[in-house]
Amino acid sequence: MGVRKHSNLASYALGNVLKYRTRSIAIIIALFFSTSILSSVEFIREGVVQDISSSLDEGSDIVIQKLVGGRQVPIPTAWVTNVTETTGVRAATPRIWGYSDVGSGSLLTIMGVNASEYGNMIGAVGTEIVGEGRFLNESDRGKMIIGQGIIDLMAASAMPLHVQVGTILSLITFDGELIEFEVIGVFSSGSKIYSYDMVLTDIISARDVLGYENDTCTDIAVWVTPGADPNSVAFRLDTEIPEARVLTHDAISDSMLKAYGGRAGMAALLWTIVLMAVVLIAFTASGAISEEARREVGLLKALGFDTVDVLEIRMLESITLSLLGVSLGISFAVIYDFILGGPVISGYLLGWSLNLLPGGIPLTISLSTVFIMYAVGVVPILVAAVIPSWRNAITEPDTVLRGV
Amino acid sequence: MAATIRTENVWKTYGANTPRQVDAVRDLSMEIEKGTITALGGPSGSGKSTALSLIGLLTRPSRGKIFLGDQEVSGLSEVFRTKLRRTEIGFIFQAQYLIPQLTATENVALPLLCTDISRSEAEKLAREKLTSLGMEQRLDFRVVELSGGELQRVGIARALMNAPRILIADEPSASIDEKLTKELLATLRTMVEDEGLTVVVASHDPVVLQWADVLLMMHDGSVKGSS
Repeated sequence: MGVRKHSNLASYALGNVLKYRTRSIAIIIALFFSTSILSSVEFIREGVVQDISSSLDEGSDIVIQKLVGGRQVPIPTAWVTNVTETTGVRAATPRIWGYSDVGSGSLLTIMGVNASEYGNMIGAVGTEIVGEGRFLNESDRGKMIIGQGIIDLMAASAMPLHVQVGTILSLITFDGELIEFEVIGVFSSGSKIYSYDMVLTDIISARDVLGYENDTCTDIAVWVTPGADPNSVAFRLDTEIPEARVLTHDAISDSMLKAYGGRAGMAALLWTIVLMAVVLIAFTASGAISEEARREVGLLKALGFDTVDVLEIRMLESITLSLLGVSLGISFAVIYDFILGGPVISGYLLGWSLNLLPGGIPLTISLSTVFIMYAVGVVPILVAAVIPSWRNAITEPDTVLRGV
Repeated sequence: MAATIRTENVWKTYGANTPRQVDAVRDLSMEIEKGTITALGGPSGSGKSTALSLIGLLTRPSRGKIFLGDQEVSGLSEVFRTKLRRTEIGFIFQAQYLIPQLTATENVALPLLCTDISRSEAEKLAREKLTSLGMEQRLDFRVVELSGGELQRVGIARALMNAPRILIADEPSASIDEKLTKELLATLRTMVEDEGLTVVVASHDPVVLQWADVLLMMHDGSVKGSS
């Protein structure tokens, strides 16, 4: 049989999609919801995983903190000397971390660094400057390098300001004063979570903004000598400075991925439940339980349709429905995540580390993710629709028609 | 005249080897000649519908042989049986089994969709067939919008779409009045005379039974008398 017959079967299948409206709409809506939830979560999860990877690549090998009563407290900068002298340490530099506002209501991440020590670390976050700007000098005070998010934030504010090299911005200090900073550069970074809203400045200016005492810092960033095992160096540092909390690159990565992975897992569980509901609808509608669909298969067989003709019709129906449902779901997820910023879901997934500027949510769409979305949407529906039809199609038409 | 349909000692058992085992047809042997109208009469449960399903290749006999012309068809593979249903046999079902979401034309065109005739051509032929049965005013009506007699005519039109050699009709007058029954029978008679169609009909209706060329009375799954 030729093309015309397949064209007839396709036409009949598409006609069924339109004619069985309630069934078609139920499957499409259910698939739409399940796919949009999973796609939205996957775009963010994949983005976060990539972002974490980038942030760790741009970060130090080891971070040293100090905890008292479970809370992070300032570290004396005197620790830096001990750290630097530890075998396997290439460089160690104190950093000041905290949050401040530019009066827009959005908090920005402030990081104060020792310009010369930090700037020597090629690839460290904030050191790759875009366009005309420059990195910090040792003598710089009241200068800042900013992430792209701050430019976006100021451009979108009630009184839009085009921030560029040379722009003066005021940061609100810990005690409510204003300190003026000059933008000397804009940095590029593979990590959005850590860099999008970041202000990089010298350590003294950062202390002024965040209220740190002289000779203290938030943490110490440590880079190990090439070839040295970071875990061994971390162990030595832990032994050397018993009060220190020593975190390696891998430990930070693990804890972050566990946090995001766990939340994404909950969303995937929700998606699985919804998908199962879709499969049940498809299974019911395709003839496993539906008397009407079962009888239709018997009738087609009685009228001379082969088993493969019946299966072709059912496959085309379910592929059409599932492609439509999944495509709508993915499209909605793209709009929801990339245009609307993924409200609710991003908050749930990113938790405390949700970027304070909405544009900073890391998002990634990969072909593999889209392929998986289609596969997990189309295949179960296809199986749920075709198997009952196949079972009916291989049964004698008389038995199917009479329901015996 | 050569027999178009022949059955030899055919049995059909449902629920074999279970407490619900029923021999719906027992040792059925009959011959139906080409270009005749044969009626199967008998009480409910006498095996008329099962006999029609057997000779219409909708089910296989548990024992015995069925011939269409010289070919033994009871042992054929499902692919060949399906092909024979597609090309040689037309069915008028008691319950019609029309697809309610489709129009009269779409229902009638259905048997041609599994052939190499395009859908538009199939629907054109379906319109012609329905028009020939006086349904020109109802071509695009959905099944739920048609009366019992109209449904019956849609069923007949569909059964004739593949230009069958054999037409099998199960209780064709069950849902229509006597006037419509006579119209239906007249239509079938014309087709037998003009096109050499062989009609096998199962019915309780005396009008139908009297109209047939041959009457086979069934009881308890087998033919108990003929006239």
